[in-house]
Amino acid sequence: MEELLSILKEIHPEVDYDTEDGLIDKRIFDSFDIVTLVGQLTEEYDIEIGPEDLIPENFNSAESIYGLVERLMEE
Amino acid sequence: MSFVSVPFAVFVISAVLLYYLMPVKYRYLVLLAASIFFYYSACGKYIIYILATIVITYLSSMAMERVKGRSAIVFDRGQKKEAKKWLKKRLKIIMIICLFLNFGILITLKYSNFLFSNINMIRVGFFGSTDMWGFGKLVLPLGISFYTFQSMGYIIDLFYRRYDAERNPLKLALFVTFFPQIIQGPISRFKDISPTLFGGNRFDADNFRKGLYLILFGVAKKLIIADRLSGFIKNSSALYRDLNGTYMLLMVFLYSMQLYADFSGGINITIGTARLFGVDVTENFVRPFFSKSVSEYWSRWHITLGTWFRDYIFYPISISKKLMAFGKKVSRVNDFLGKRTSLYTATIVVWTATGLWHGPEWRYVLWGLLNGIIMCVSAELTPLYDRLNNMIGWKMGGVLHRSFAVIRTFVIMSMLRVFDLSFEGIRQALSIYKRILLRQGGISAEMLESLGLSMKDLKVAAAGIAVLFVISMLERKKSIYDRLMQRPVAQRWIFCTVSVAAVIIFGYYGLGYNSADFIYMQF
Repeated sequence: MEELLSILKEIHPEVDYDTEDGLIDKRIFDSFDIVTLVGQLTEEYDIEIGPEDLIPENFNSAESIYGLVERLMEE
Repeated sequence: MSFVSVPFAVFVISAVLLYYLMPVKYRYLVLLAASIFFYYSACGKYIIYILATIVITYLSSMAMERVKGRSAIVFDRGQKKEAKKWLKKRLKIIMIICLFLNFGILITLKYSNFLFSNINMIRVGFFGSTDMWGFGKLVLPLGISFYTFQSMGYIIDLFYRRYDAERNPLKLALFVTFFPQIIQGPISRFKDISPTLFGGNRFDADNFRKGLYLILFGVAKKLIIADRLSGFIKNSSALYRDLNGTYMLLMVFLYSMQLYADFSGGINITIGTARLFGVDVTENFVRPFFSKSVSEYWSRWHITLGTWFRDYIFYPISISKKLMAFGKKVSRVNDFLGKRTSLYTATIVVWTATGLWHGPEWRYVLWGLLNGIIMCVSAELTPLYDRLNNMIGWKMGGVLHRSFAVIRTFVIMSMLRVFDLSFEGIRQALSIYKRILLRQGGISAEMLESLGLSMKDLKVAAAGIAVLFVISMLERKKSIYDRLMQRPVAQRWIFCTVSVAAVIIFGYYGLGYNSADFIYMQF
């Protein structure tokens, strides 16, 4: 989780990722941010994120992103 | 049958009565019959194209379901990975065939002559050919871009296994043809619209009332602002050679307002009409002129088209393994470019496609590309903007900073719309820019009137735009409808009476006048 938080902080340092649960719904992350994030997650965790994973539910909070990463690492 | 016409009102009232008289279970059939009737009355024999899309989409979706069922039989639980791979490959083949056929219809009807005219230009220029290739004039069926995109979004979602396919062909036909959104969208997602579209909704007074309010709001936008400005904009863009830059500037800003009033007004009527049947249609606008950047503007304007391109083209390209691997290779030579390869390639592809979506002409391609380039450049310049803001001493996110960003975005977006107005092509757009920059001059009331904009028109449109602005400001916190509902019944009636009276008194209509077609209908 620490690594993920530092990646997220690099993209949007002003966000409080402990409480924020509307990264997509509140348009804090735009599509450029998502693609940047996916690129970094792919490299950091050696996972494969497909277009089918790019749904708001997977990216609305740090927790949900972490959940996605864990799920993909298991696969 | 125009949305803003007596026949359409009679048609909707009849459909609503039939809908609520029908047993709940069969109510979706009334919507399907109404949609087929609406489409046939608008397109006649060309209904064949939408029927072909329905058949192709349905057969493909059923083939996908069959393959999914087979993968469960062929593989046992221990072979999860193999099953996934096997299934993905087969679903992909079906999806590609379906996309090829449906986009094939769209491309043939909408883009083949554009393609041929460019090929002919090369043949004439380089090889001296004298015979011209082409299909002659092709009829573009109503809403083909909208229903093709909507159907293909459904098929791509099935490929990603986001939900199961609809087994009832009549329900799928309704999803593709639903009449309120066939003219100009929104491009709905199956998952979002299907529960209320097929559900057989019971009469809900609040929903119905909200629908009527939305229709009233949409008609007011269309008749008081959009149609009133339509003549001036058409005439001044046609006579641009004889007009100075001040007229052009007025045309550009009024066109932004006209387009917004026209398109968002049409969407209000669409959402309102759907609500009369209890159907929830996705919102397509969220106060776009309050955007602080071009990318934010595109997340608030024609939202469903933007999200379609984002989900089905931008994401798959930008995160594709091949492009990311290519980006890494580029990084070895130039780290800056490498990190941006996939992002900017996808941006350029999406915005070229968005341009082409608006019309098979180079001016639209250039318009799309400029949007994409502005977004990429502004992403790169963000640190510079921040430094400049600090130097000026503006508080980031403060009123001054936000107001500047909003005005800047409005000016950029309005200026880009010059390509929309340049029916003669890119040269006309460049000439309009030149006039705006170098040939400013005075304007006269007489000239404006001869162009179709009397002082009365200007005052009424300005008042309409001012009301729209106030409503947009109020809606930042709560919708105008919710605010109204908190008021006593008498006040609501006064509001409605005043609004209807405003449409009757200030609406642009009359004997011999037909409400102009919606601008987005041509796409």
